[in-house]
Amino acid sequence: MGIVSAFELLAKYHSIFLLGLRNTLILTATAFSIGFALGITIAVLREFGPKPIRHLLAAYVEIIRGTPMLLQLFIVYYALPAIGIVLPPIAAAILGMGLNSGAYQSEYYRAAIRAIPRGQYEAALSLGMTTRQLIEVLAIPMAVRIAFPSMVNELVYLLKYSSIAYFLTVIELTYAGKIVGAETFQYLEVYTIIAIIYFALSMAIVRFCKFVESRIRVPGLGAPEATRGLI
Amino acid sequence: MSGEILRVDNLWKSYSETPVLRGVSFEVLRGEVKVIMGPSGSGKSTLLRCINLLVRPDKGRISLEGKEVFPKPYDSIHRIRQKIGFVFQSYNLFLHMTVLDNVRVGLIKVKKLSKEEATKRAMEALRIVGIGPELWNKYPAQLSGGQQQRVAIARAIAMEPTIMLMDEPTSALDPELVGEVLNVIRDLAKQKMTMLIVTHELDFALEVADEIMVLDGGKIVERGKPSEILNNPKHPRTRRFIERLRRRVEHGHR
Ligand SMILES: Nc1ncnc2c1ncn2[C@@H]1O[C@H](COP(=O)(O)OP(=O)(O)OP(=O)(O)O)[C@@H](O)[C@H]1O
Ligand SMILES: [Mg+2]
Repeated sequence: MGIVSAFELLAKYHSIFLLGLRNTLILTATAFSIGFALGITIAVLREFGPKPIRHLLAAYVEIIRGTPMLLQLFIVYYALPAIGIVLPPIAAAILGMGLNSGAYQSEYYRAAIRAIPRGQYEAALSLGMTTRQLIEVLAIPMAVRIAFPSMVNELVYLLKYSSIAYFLTVIELTYAGKIVGAETFQYLEVYTIIAIIYFALSMAIVRFCKFVESRIRVPGLGAPEATRGLI
Repeated sequence: MSGEILRVDNLWKSYSETPVLRGVSFEVLRGEVKVIMGPSGSGKSTLLRCINLLVRPDKGRISLEGKEVFPKPYDSIHRIRQKIGFVFQSYNLFLHMTVLDNVRVGLIKVKKLSKEEATKRAMEALRIVGIGPELWNKYPAQLSGGQQQRVAIARAIAMEPTIMLMDEPTSALDPELVGEVLNVIRDLAKQKMTMLIVTHELDFALEVADEIMVLDGGKIVERGKPSEILNNPKHPRTRRFIERLRRRVEHGHR
């Protein structure tokens, strides 16, 4: 192996690497977004919604967390057609990962909603806010700030686990590596390249999120600034 | 229309069998300032919270401007709360909002004012409590306790409530910051704002209160003109309580 042959590989098979990269980014970004919307909705309904809905959503979260994500993807891709829902591989992967991430994300937001000091809710109520107004003005904006570090973890996690879309025949980064490897038998070079790309993407996400966090950070809320650098 | 803003009749509240309020009755007239005093645990906070329905009473009757609020509210609880300003001991400003947003969020979201109109009113309220423009874009955690409490008062008065309830508005403050908050409340009293204030600031109560009510064990054990209550309390427990407060002031403790 060598650096030269790695670059040669990249040059020769750049279109398939790029396709893999593109699909990995699409999977990660869309699954995270679906998971975010679903997670916030579940969290809010479980904290403020009517009892039967709370129980229903609690059951959903437990089922998702108690079964493998790969199995969930198989159900969406292979089992849903039995009831007439046929999705292309990438759509099935996005949906499956989004439904999965939504369950996990809902737990972060729920914990965050509960971490909002009681006095904040009392202040909102005393101004005459309805539950709906209080959710919009207080619960969601604060919960997102409090849960932000967990959101970054989830995003990096999804980036890496988007590789299981491979099993639904989606040509994402890992699958692209497999294809090039099978053609060239230069598995070491190929998988080293793939690993570096994943690592670079993770670092970029973490960096970017640090920047976003610094923009939405509010003094006195979330990770205390004062302790940074001290520990 | 009578000048009666708030009327509380025979109010009862228990927390799991423990009675906290045991038949409290009083009224507040338009433009009046009434002060509630009483030892810790006597039910002062519970009483104020019952009035704006943050806590549901067990029994009794509450009415606002002659209209029943409890047990049969004449309107939705949210709309009733808009008429009752509440100032908390621990300020409770929205931590993720700037000073200006704290004061105008209620006007925009609850009262549905336009952003311009809400901003205008918020600035006016901030001016009344002496919070200058240099602080409008700061977050609560960047302000002193006294500044935070003044912003909290601005947030409440911007809603133009018919009555203000204040639960020990200065007792979380460092001694040197108490004065600036009391001055704001004094100004409100001069403007004839109707207020029901829980406080143990004796000189302040003597100056602004139309009446002091002493709550003990969930009952109003004594009520009357501030000078009578503070200088010549009839109830022995009240006398001991007020002497204790005096000693605390002399020793500089709060
Ligand atoms: N949510 C609650 N659940 C159970 N008990 C409560 C609750 N809130 C208050 N109490 C109890 O009710 C009693 C009266 O409390 P309250 O806060 O009204 O007293 P207070 O006069 O305001 O006291 P302080 O001067 O310490 O603020 C106390 O014994 C308190 O422990
Ligand atoms: Mg209290």
